[in-house]
Amino acid sequence: MISSLERVPIDLLHWFLGLVGSFGVPAWILAIVSALIIIGTIIGVFLGLFALTSVMERKILARVQNRYGPNRAGPFGLFQPIADGIKMITKEDLVPRTADWIVHLLAPVVMMVPALMVLAIIPYGRDMVPVELDAGILYFFAVGAGTEVAVFMAGWGSNNKYSVLGAMRAIAQMISYELPLVISAIVTAMIAGSLSPSAIVAAQGGGGFVPQWFILTPWGFTAGLIFYICALAESNRSPFDLPEGESELVAGHLTEYSGFKYATFFMAEYVGMFAICGMFVTLFLGGWQAPLPFLDIVPSWCWFFGKVCFVAFTMIWVRATLPRLRIDHLLAFAWKFLLPMSFAAFLSAACWHYAGRGPLAWILSLAIVGIPYLILGNAFTNRFAVSRRTYLFSE
Amino acid sequence: MTLQILLAISAILFAFGLAAALSRSNAIMILIGIELMLGAANLNFIAFWRFSDNPADLAGILFVIFSIGVAAAEAAVGLAIIILVHRRIRSVEVDDASNLKG
Amino acid sequence: MMCDFLKTCCADPMKLIGEWFVILPAVILLLAAAASVVMRNLIHAALLLTLSFIALGVVFIALGAEFVGFVQLLVYVGAVAMVIVFAILLTKPDQLTKSRNMLSGFAPAAGVAVAFASLAALLGFIFSSPLAKKPLPATASAPVAAIGEALMGDYVIALIVLGILLTAALVGAAVIAMEDKP
Repeated sequence: MISSLERVPIDLLHWFLGLVGSFGVPAWILAIVSALIIIGTIIGVFLGLFALTSVMERKILARVQNRYGPNRAGPFGLFQPIADGIKMITKEDLVPRTADWIVHLLAPVVMMVPALMVLAIIPYGRDMVPVELDAGILYFFAVGAGTEVAVFMAGWGSNNKYSVLGAMRAIAQMISYELPLVISAIVTAMIAGSLSPSAIVAAQGGGGFVPQWFILTPWGFTAGLIFYICALAESNRSPFDLPEGESELVAGHLTEYSGFKYATFFMAEYVGMFAICGMFVTLFLGGWQAPLPFLDIVPSWCWFFGKVCFVAFTMIWVRATLPRLRIDHLLAFAWKFLLPMSFAAFLSAACWHYAGRGPLAWILSLAIVGIPYLILGNAFTNRFAVSRRTYLFSE
Repeated sequence: MTLQILLAISAILFAFGLAAALSRSNAIMILIGIELMLGAANLNFIAFWRFSDNPADLAGILFVIFSIGVAAAEAAVGLAIIILVHRRIRSVEVDDASNLKG
Repeated sequence: MMCDFLKTCCADPMKLIGEWFVILPAVILLLAAAASVVMRNLIHAALLLTLSFIALGVVFIALGAEFVGFVQLLVYVGAVAMVIVFAILLTKPDQLTKSRNMLSGFAPAAGVAVAFASLAALLGFIFSSPLAKKPLPATASAPVAAIGEALMGDYVIALIVLGILLTAALVGAAVIAMEDKP
């Protein structure tokens, strides 16, 4: 029951290529034009989403905090991104005199490029992957490692002790949370039998009454939750936004950036957030598939973007709700809780598969995930329990 | 593109790494030279795999995977030692770690 | 040799792009490595080393070993380069931008001479060997499934030993660099 709207983007692309091809161009120019159109569409869509999210985030945060958000710039404040863009472009671009200006200039570029490159392997709909890579998940994490270099360059290039300190904290946070992120992604790759995102989406298909998405299994729920938390940490979003919180080291590694360079960092952070939301949807929420078979009327790319927008909304919701974590709490949480839990999810997924995926397998995998959770949870909360206050210098 | 070009590139990279490891006085620069030498060896393996008559034999690729893992372990331990030595003698120059010199 | 190369490349532009996909990152790799080893400023040297790692990863991908290329980018750029940069910042030489460049005495000249001699010897062997004159085979692909089966099949012992080695290195580095608690 696939609707005719399903193939609209692909049909548009083929029609346009036919139009260009009718001028008698050789095949390799057609390949380049096709690639350029796909790249342009993806970048356009994600930058549009970025603009919309920057105002929706402020409005949602505001509503949670019982106030209106920006509502002056247009109907319901929806032209706010245009106003922000004009402000950012016309601001003076300050570079400290003793700063390393090459490194300072290149840091936003090095931040933006991986954030955009990573969008190439996400399946946006049925047969709608821009690049079909055998090792797509590995490409995602390999290119995402470039962000850490950019953060360091931003902190170092500013020639500012607080920037360097903020950059070191940000890199420590990113490296610590990268491990549980990669392991929880590998859990789904193990069950699906391939590192290609299209294969992982296909492995979540075929459910009848209940969708067979990975997040609806015990190990998948754990791995998905770990992936979500680490995604928040990788994008430096609250509650892990110590590197760039305003009440901390001014703006951390972004202190000396103003104007368009700051806007580039901002853009890179949001595009990265959408990319990792897209990967979360692909790995755990079934990608472009509809939950129930009769809902296939809605096109697959609509389902994909709907799910991504929902996950982004929950990220904004979490930002409005939870307080910020301190750096030592943050690192302890990653190494002492998330990493063992991701191993537990890995073991649980393997046992689920080899116990035959029946009811016994579900109970076994639930036990393998639940018991470490209870033990680690107790061990963790007792460490930070508020103890009786002892007075040193008074009676 | 023959195999010679890739092997020559790898040899030049190895020579750069060797020059850095033998002539710089900063311990971290020496480590950078070692990493360049390891990278050159990895490039050699991949070049030989690419030009081999039987590319289904993945020994070259697997060797490089293990080599990258070992290089990462060695860089971590080496830098930990450099940090520890710095704490004692407040310097990372290898000339200054001369306590046992007769 | 150069003329044949240019002639074949201009005849078929996609082949040109395919060949240049290997040569251009290789040139960037050599230039970045050369700049990195002569730099005075340690942070610039580390960043140029990162650039050379990225270029080496792209060369691996262009040669068809995509899995290795991505592993190189993930491990070297994401981890080793960051550890080197952290070590530079934590040891903080007194004047970061003006570290002592070379060893004292005639040792640097001797070091460069040894490197040059080894390069000359290697290039002599490479260009005189008949084995190395092979042309490029059509395609070589290493699908991830085949690498996985090899790792878990023939090379499983090496994989387990690598895991033990990395665990030992992790614990060892943490113990070595830990501050003594008073």
